[in-house]
Amino acid sequence: MPKITINGQVYEAAKGKTIIQVADDVGIEIPRYCYHPDIGIEGSCRMCLVEVKGTPKLLPACATPVTDNMEVRTDTERVHEAVRYAMEFLLLHHPIDCSVCDQSGECWLQDYYMAHAGHDSRYPLGQKTRRRKAFNLGPLVKLDQERCILCTRCVRFTRNVTNTNEIQVFSRGHNSEIGIFEDRPLNNPYSGNVVDVCPVGALTSTDFRFKARVWFLKGTDSVCGGCSTGCNLRIDHSARAAGGGIPGYTATDGKIYRTVGRRNVEVNKSWLCDEGRLSFHTLERYPRLWHARAQGEQKPVNDLLPDIHANFESIRAEYGDGAVAALGSGMNTNEALFLMKKYFKGHVDFRLGKEVELYQQPQDDLLRRLDKHPNTHGALDLGLAGGLGGLRRLRDLAEKKEIRAMWISFHPQLVGEDAQEIIEDLRRLIQALDYSVVSTTHDFAWAHDAGHLLPMAAWAEEKGTYTNYAGRVQITNRAVMPPGDAQPLHVLMAELLNRAGLEVSTDPGVVFQWIAREIPGYTGLDYDTIGSSGGAVSPVPEEVLR
Amino acid sequence: MTPVSGGYAVDVPTINVSDRARRENATVWSTFRAFGVTLRRFYTSLFKGDIPTINYPEESRPYSERFRGTHILTVRDDGSLKCVACYMCATICPAECIYIEAGEHPNPEIEKFPTRFDIDMMRCIYCGFCVDACPEEAIIMSREHHQSVYERSETLWGIEKLMARPGIDAKGPGYRPNRPMAEARIFNKPEQPVCPFPSHLEERHPAVLYESMIRRRG
Repeated sequence: MPKITINGQVYEAAKGKTIIQVADDVGIEIPRYCYHPDIGIEGSCRMCLVEVKGTPKLLPACATPVTDNMEVRTDTERVHEAVRYAMEFLLLHHPIDCSVCDQSGECWLQDYYMAHAGHDSRYPLGQKTRRRKAFNLGPLVKLDQERCILCTRCVRFTRNVTNTNEIQVFSRGHNSEIGIFEDRPLNNPYSGNVVDVCPVGALTSTDFRFKARVWFLKGTDSVCGGCSTGCNLRIDHSARAAGGGIPGYTATDGKIYRTVGRRNVEVNKSWLCDEGRLSFHTLERYPRLWHARAQGEQKPVNDLLPDIHANFESIRAEYGDGAVAALGSGMNTNEALFLMKKYFKGHVDFRLGKEVELYQQPQDDLLRRLDKHPNTHGALDLGLAGGLGGLRRLRDLAEKKEIRAMWISFHPQLVGEDAQEIIEDLRRLIQALDYSVVSTTHDFAWAHDAGHLLPMAAWAEEKGTYTNYAGRVQITNRAVMPPGDAQPLHVLMAELLNRAGLEVSTDPGVVFQWIAREIPGYTGLDYDTIGSSGGAVSPVPEEVLR
Repeated sequence: MTPVSGGYAVDVPTINVSDRARRENATVWSTFRAFGVTLRRFYTSLFKGDIPTINYPEESRPYSERFRGTHILTVRDDGSLKCVACYMCATICPAECIYIEAGEHPNPEIEKFPTRFDIDMMRCIYCGFCVDACPEEAIIMSREHHQSVYERSETLWGIEKLMARPGIDAKGPGYRPNRPMAEARIFNKPEQPVCPFPSHLEERHPAVLYESMIRRRG
């Protein structure tokens, strides 16, 4: 372990690390544009120059490996001057169009200019080099070559991460510019990440462009619900909590504006696939269900819950416990599925299609997985893959009148469409049952036959945990409020359990403590230990491995 | 002329009302003096034309050049909005009365423009911060302040109403501190040589020195 001195403080550094990595670990800020921990080292921006004792020139901290007894200073006048000059060169031909630039507010040029430069430009605005502005690089990305500082993060992303090599630097010297050969589209399934890695406004997202200014947005750390990988992301949504102010920015509109990859080395590094990045649009794809309905009539949810409980109880009394069952899905949180299992006394299933066979199978070699449900592993951990045998068999049982009443919770897949045969099976299942309760997020026509139709909170509207394909428990957070009377499924289930005589909290954290007490792999976990980067790994259930 | 107890910063003249009342009110003579004032004013108004009142809705007194009335969205020479939907005004607005939706401009040089620009005139407090914040002098204020409408929804002014209405030409613009900056063409394109509204403000605004205005570090 080499010992390295940074600004007079001695730190232990792992061998092979570079100065900037050590500084990041101990919390010393070194300005950088081209360095990104997940895409390889370039050393082109010259922002991270530091003074190392014994070397005549300043060294780039991102490309210099630490050696034993290295003495680094990041706070001398020489370093400040070098950063200031680097900034002046980077901004030499910058068009200063912050007022129309989508990056402003989160632009590294703005931040570092205020922190390290503050110079007057020596180049008149009218004489700056003009380049191509605002043209489509691909379906998701727009490029503005005037704003580009040639840090080549996007180039290295396509070279080292996706291995598709689309974006390249063309021409040399002052004429260098980023582009794609023959303007072919940047259409790999991870293209949205180049917008995330771009430190300036050169690459902007066509999806988010001009929708909102970033300082109006509030970020909530969460987990993608698009597939069983469970990539960490940040949901950027309207900032004002409730009411008042500008119509578009109030959370009564409950608007999510974008999702951005959040770094978690264990799961997704910094990346998101494009499907997952845009998966929040699924919530707007169909009309949402705002109010509960009983035989087509609009009713408050709290008035219906006693009826629902009484109906289930009477059917249980008449036909036995086995005649009442529930169908969750891999879109529901662990908390909701666990409480559902408690209320329906274990007669719960979650398999709509082939989740269990698919949930560990990768769709490509980076992130995506074939199972588009985020919590299949969690549902298996909770023991929901029991004797009921999935949706198809439940439909058969209902048609044979072995099951008389069911609670069906349906949340559409965030990525892609649900298979048509699943919808058809659900329709037939509802028709075969004597009594059915459907809790769903959207106003689906096939659910109108249900005895009671309850609105349910969707992804990003409820707090809970998902267990990803590798058994990592991660917290998905509430970013926006659910529409109308909609409530998270675990709240509905807790209310039902309270009517059944148990004292159950509607707080997902408390429910998770109960899970941790009962489910073997989750022992010792709670929301604090899971935190924002995910909790300890629980083993894959044996029946799946067999 | 003694300061009133209560601590005014300046000497406040005081009138002993009860003393004066005893002197004037108790006499018949003061009654006729009052008639005299009325008759004198009657005479000057009727025969000399010295009338202090005006027929208000038809006539009005000139307002200050810096009057902060209802807003104007200024336009380029081709008639399109100068606004680039940077949201500076909506950000600074303490009343949160400005609502903007931005769109992609067909010209990539302009890039961004507002597809919707609404000001809730009932919410607005006419502080002029939006005008101060605007980097393009796209929003300025007028000398109008009349807001009589039949329905509350009419006080939500959209782009059309903010861009052009008869009162702008009749009364002229009001508060527009960034005009020297706009005329210095720091941000202006060459196709817009002059401002459509003349102004009498001649002193250089600090924003003219926009680039050197930023604090030099070290």
